[in-house]
Amino acid sequence: MTQTTPPPTETSEQQDPVPESARSGGDGAGARTAARIAGAFAIPIAGFLSLGWLLDFLKDDDANRLVIAAVAIVVGVVGVFALFWAMDTIVDWLPARVRETARPYVFVGPALAILAVFMIYPVVNTIVLSFKDARGDEFVGLDNYEFVFTNESMLRSIRNSVGWIVVVPLFGVSIGLVFAALADRLRRGEALAKSLIFLPMAISFVGASVTFRLIYDYRPEGFGSNIGLLNGIWMGLGNEPVAWLSQKPWNNLLLMAIMVWMQTGFAMVVLSAAIKAIPDEIIEAARIDGASEMQVFRRIVVPSILPTIVVVTTYMVINAMKVFDIVFVMGNAESNGTEVIAERMIRWFFISNHDGRGAAIAVVLFIAIIPVMVWNVRKFREQEAIR
Amino acid sequence: MTAVPLPPTDLTPAETATGPSRAKKTSGTVGVEQGGWFVRIAVLVTVLIWLIPAVGVLVTSFRGADDVRQTGWWTVLWDPFGTDWTFENYRTALDSGGFANAFLNSLAVTIPATIMPIAVAAFAAYAFSWMQFRGRHLMFVLVVGLMVVPLQMALIPILRLFVDGGEIAGVRVFPDLDLNGSFLGIWLAHTAFGLPLATYLLRNYIGSLPSSIIESARIDGADNFTIFWRLIVPLSVPALAAFGIFQFLWVWNDLLVAYVFLGGTSDTRVVTIALANLVGARGQNWQLLTSAAFITMVLPLVVFFSLQRYFVRGLTAGSVKG
Amino acid sequence: MRSRWTLLAIPLLLGGFLAGCGDDDDEGASTDDTTEDGGGGGGGEDTGSVNILFAGEPDEASSLQEVIDEMINADAEYEAEFEASGNFEEQLQIRAEGGTLDLAAVPQPGAVQELAASGNLTSLEDLGFDMAELEEVFGEAFLALGEYEGEHYGLPTNINLKSMVWYPKDDFDAAGYEIPETWDDMLALSDQIVADGGTPWCVGFSSEGSTGWPATDWMEDIVLRTAGADVYDQWVAHEIPFDDPAIVTAAETFGEVLFKDGYVLGGAASTVDIPFGDAPLPMFDEEPGCWLHRQASFIDTFFPEDAEAGVDYDWFPLPPIDQEGILFAGELTVVGSNGNRPEVKDFLEKFISDDVQCSTGEAAARLSPNVNVGADCYGNDNLGRAAEVLAEANQAGTGRFDASDLMPAEVGSGSFWTGMVDYVQGGSADRAAEVLAEIEASWPS
Repeated sequence: MTQTTPPPTETSEQQDPVPESARSGGDGAGARTAARIAGAFAIPIAGFLSLGWLLDFLKDDDANRLVIAAVAIVVGVVGVFALFWAMDTIVDWLPARVRETARPYVFVGPALAILAVFMIYPVVNTIVLSFKDARGDEFVGLDNYEFVFTNESMLRSIRNSVGWIVVVPLFGVSIGLVFAALADRLRRGEALAKSLIFLPMAISFVGASVTFRLIYDYRPEGFGSNIGLLNGIWMGLGNEPVAWLSQKPWNNLLLMAIMVWMQTGFAMVVLSAAIKAIPDEIIEAARIDGASEMQVFRRIVVPSILPTIVVVTTYMVINAMKVFDIVFVMGNAESNGTEVIAERMIRWFFISNHDGRGAAIAVVLFIAIIPVMVWNVRKFREQEAIR
Repeated sequence: MTAVPLPPTDLTPAETATGPSRAKKTSGTVGVEQGGWFVRIAVLVTVLIWLIPAVGVLVTSFRGADDVRQTGWWTVLWDPFGTDWTFENYRTALDSGGFANAFLNSLAVTIPATIMPIAVAAFAAYAFSWMQFRGRHLMFVLVVGLMVVPLQMALIPILRLFVDGGEIAGVRVFPDLDLNGSFLGIWLAHTAFGLPLATYLLRNYIGSLPSSIIESARIDGADNFTIFWRLIVPLSVPALAAFGIFQFLWVWNDLLVAYVFLGGTSDTRVVTIALANLVGARGQNWQLLTSAAFITMVLPLVVFFSLQRYFVRGLTAGSVKG
Repeated sequence: MRSRWTLLAIPLLLGGFLAGCGDDDDEGASTDDTTEDGGGGGGGEDTGSVNILFAGEPDEASSLQEVIDEMINADAEYEAEFEASGNFEEQLQIRAEGGTLDLAAVPQPGAVQELAASGNLTSLEDLGFDMAELEEVFGEAFLALGEYEGEHYGLPTNINLKSMVWYPKDDFDAAGYEIPETWDDMLALSDQIVADGGTPWCVGFSSEGSTGWPATDWMEDIVLRTAGADVYDQWVAHEIPFDDPAIVTAAETFGEVLFKDGYVLGGAASTVDIPFGDAPLPMFDEEPGCWLHRQASFIDTFFPEDAEAGVDYDWFPLPPIDQEGILFAGELTVVGSNGNRPEVKDFLEKFISDDVQCSTGEAAARLSPNVNVGADCYGNDNLGRAAEVLAEANQAGTGRFDASDLMPAEVGSGSFWTGMVDYVQGGSADRAAEVLAEIEASWPS
């Protein structure tokens, strides 16, 4: 790549407040600079060698588990901060000309490096795999993509997934937002109320599957009384029990309800934090001007936290795209017509052992996210322009 | 880029860094007089709807296996003595071999796997919001776009790296670390899986801090590391706490990543695996999951309660855009 | 110039970081021989541990573990540990492809072949087994289930009987019913029960994402009994189409039980919504809600806690129709790429030996595929009888492995399940040919 000095508009912000000559080896002390650079590398390496020794200790079977857990925690936590401190120190020792160009990469570098290894590499791997056959041996061109867009069950899964990414964020974000705004105005019990909405987030997924089994369960005549709450109510109203999860297409909504129940807590917590960040004076001023509570909410609260709403919505859209476990444990998706994209992906990849098709479905997921990201970047640019 | 001058706030960095206790005084008292009843009823109704499924689980967790299969849990509401209440489900769950050990393993996995992504992401989020460098937007989109990568697709390639190391055209780009089965391996994996969301959330929060604060600190001669450490981190406590809770929950409740990188044998397994093993491969003891759900929930709820005091008004007063 | 510096600095730093811990780790692995790596295995070197990923019950795994600890681990230099996993298929695939798999006890021979084809398994030949010796112990047919391109990848380690009909013995005897010897007798018994005001069959096909599999077991049992073992083999190997007339006949025979008025508790259409584990429970009601339940040997773990074998319930083999046949399933133990180590072979040799197999059979209620383990070896009567039924069928050459486990996963764990659900929901045997044709269309080319 060709790299020269950054555009002047950027450098203006990067100016180190300390005059460059005061720190750099600009006066001909090249050897000193070299020593500093060498030192800069030696320190972290020594640090990581001792970290390595600690890790060995962690693998020792005879050591007490409590000690191991404690050491693991210290190593994991201190290690990260040591890494950043060491890198920042190194940058301080670099020649001044380089210093402030390098520093942003010190800040984003570890994130990028970890993601490159753990996520980008697998993504590339998946993309390659999507052009290959069931076992990943031979290239088959676009066959897998043809399958994705022609198979009846796949098409149904795409349709259903569109439903998920509309319904789940819509309900999750709006319930979370309204609840956060209301709870904010409680005199007492705000913490308790929020904790109770948050509670489902703390239940592990296996726990949630039992939870909804106790709601949607169905027994026909002769198999004892119904232990599902929905049928309990339904039969209390004088109806025959219903196999809720087999009622196409409404069963899709019942599955979405599970995710709304689990994820609203996320939206509520994040939005609540954003609402708390709105300065009291602004809201007070509006009230003094005679604005009703509804107007305050619509004109002040919502616009103020709009960037956060965008973030929460984006996250929930992505999560709704990736949902599979709810669908997986709630009956045979293909028979019930409740397939979703990620569920098809898991099924083809792990159950039907067709790596190519599984990978192609994953790639479709990656591509589907692009419009959402474009929208996000636009929002961020707007935000930066006005802050 | 030139910062838009904001009306000066009376907030100095030193003041913002003071603890939540001070800020709490002003919180939550505004406007309660208006719509008090409506607010209370609406909150109560929502909470009740949200609670019903959980109450079902709680009641079921204290009932015997045969009762659970024969009558609905709500029947106990009008016939509280018609069911034989029991602690059996909890006893079975806690007595299953090596539970204490599994609990320690879970802690050793979860705490570093919560703090590592927060730290890494906070640095990155600061750079993405307040530093200028080439490819900033592109990198950011890349990082956030990775949120969509399904965990399952990443596991096999990562495992291969852990076992064999990585080579591209004969050049070793990733060393053979024998990371599999080690805590470092699972921390790194969880860090990577949590990073996109962490960066995204923190970038949103840190990026919305008023530029006046950062500008004035720069004028005072603070370098980026100092600004980050002394200004951004204290100001971002609510966002850090919020993400901290989520990451803690995901890692704590995770089954799949722990299975893959630590395994499910008695000395390495975490709590979720120990409890999943109770249920049986064909699900014959599924009612045990009800007690398991509550046992695993205790710690996350404690974490939530203890971090909740950071979600208070005033901490970041002035962060709204002009 | 500036950014070249930058670009260099970051990877160097991270390289230093990673190499820093890497060096020490390697050292550690070679100097200590702890069993810590048990979970996912380490590199390819001697880790002093043998890990067996296990699809069965956690209870079964811990019973097995006790036997292994006593009979193998006590005097071995390694430690073998069973690891029961709820999401076995996913774990198997990830660990096999990721290269961390030691051993896995796989219930689907079809999956064994697919893993072998992907090159992620170590063959028994490569591990150093003498195939002629193994054939004497397991018989050629059983070993052939795990054969791929001339090499063998699956060591049979467990077997279970599927062709079982359970009944509530005390009430059954009190009502004066007789155990049927033929299919027609069984239908006559069903009619008798209906005439007496009861409902003969309890059927439940629901099983979360795998809903439909119990119906495929029914189908396979009937194919074996109407068309015979040879046609069954052709059907499995796809030498005849899935909707061959012989198979359509079998589906119709299945329909005669399923769709007949009054035969099935709750009606045929509701069976796909009844969890298979809850299905047998009405048998144990005060007045039995149903009298017959066809399900594999593991189903008694779902029975009420106070139900006693031989008193409250018992079983008989599903009777023959035009042909004799017995359906069974089992597990093949495969060796992953991390398992090509001497201690793994040593463990396997000991594990399949007569005395260990006999002890595991008694401790964990497992039947052994080892022909030298006699029926008298099993402590309980139920298991002993199952072993006899199996041994007889295998001697007569009419015992067959579960077809859906042998077929390609797309069919055996996919369209076969959904096809049967479709058939059952349709409510009429007339749709047999149509449903089977759909399954045929899904067979991978």
